[in-house]
Amino acid sequence: MAGRWQPDFEQLVDEHQAMVFSLAMRMTGDRGLAEEIAQDVFLELDRNLRKIESPLHACHWLRRVAMSRSADALRRQRVRSMELWVEIEEHHGATAEERSSPLGTRIEALLATLPEAQRAALILRYQEDLTPDEIAATMDAPLATVKSHLQRGLKLLRAKAANHLREYVRGA
Amino acid sequence: MEPEPKNDLAPMEDFERDLRAALRRQPAPPGLKRRVMERRWQVRAAERRRMVWLERLAASLVLAGVAGGALVWRNALERRRGEEAKRQVFTALRITGRALEEMRLQLQERESR
Repeated sequence: MAGRWQPDFEQLVDEHQAMVFSLAMRMTGDRGLAEEIAQDVFLELDRNLRKIESPLHACHWLRRVAMSRSADALRRQRVRSMELWVEIEEHHGATAEERSSPLGTRIEALLATLPEAQRAALILRYQEDLTPDEIAATMDAPLATVKSHLQRGLKLLRAKAANHLREYVRGA
Repeated sequence: MEPEPKNDLAPMEDFERDLRAALRRQPAPPGLKRRVMERRWQVRAAERRRMVWLERLAASLVLAGVAGGALVWRNALERRRGEEAKRQVFTALRITGRALEEMRLQLQERESR
């Protein structure tokens, strides 16, 4: 009989810290807060380590808790606007090496202006490469709602990109 | 899937590709793992301290229980011993009373002779 999988906390932190931090960072737009959330998520994982059954379960659990804690943090703050996000980025911003391409940075900035549910769905779809079914399971939401968030979010983001980013205006 | 809108927007596929590239996972801040491990150690140390206090409290309660029980048991034992001694005294008094009565009867009998 195969032995039960034994989670190694340190290894799990190593493997998933970028995912947890990126999710929190893109949901909140605040590096300091994102790091705090990431720490809290991993400490919560430590408390629930006995319930984790497999590496896949650990990944799914971390994704779900990271999204949930980020949403909680946003609800506590309720001060998300593009200007503030940019201001925070300037003060607590990543190092030059950590930054995406300039276009990527601007798309991220626009993403931060989307409604929370649409932003969450897009982050899980395009950062984590999840299917709508998996996103629904992660967000604990009906599949139809997730599909709607994805469609509306993508449309809205593209419209914003067309208004703000010259790369997306045809003939520019 | 909805048809592509006929306006001046770039194709959705291109935009999705750029969005995917923009949303690549960012590396975690340097030292995040170390800080998590430190906080984990602090949490565990606090839990250990709390456990030590709980163990001390439990040990104190057990000791108090044992001491209280011993006191009650000793009181009960002393009461039992006291009652036993009282019964023995009454028995001795009864025996003495009977002996005295017998002696009184013998003396009375001797005097009447």
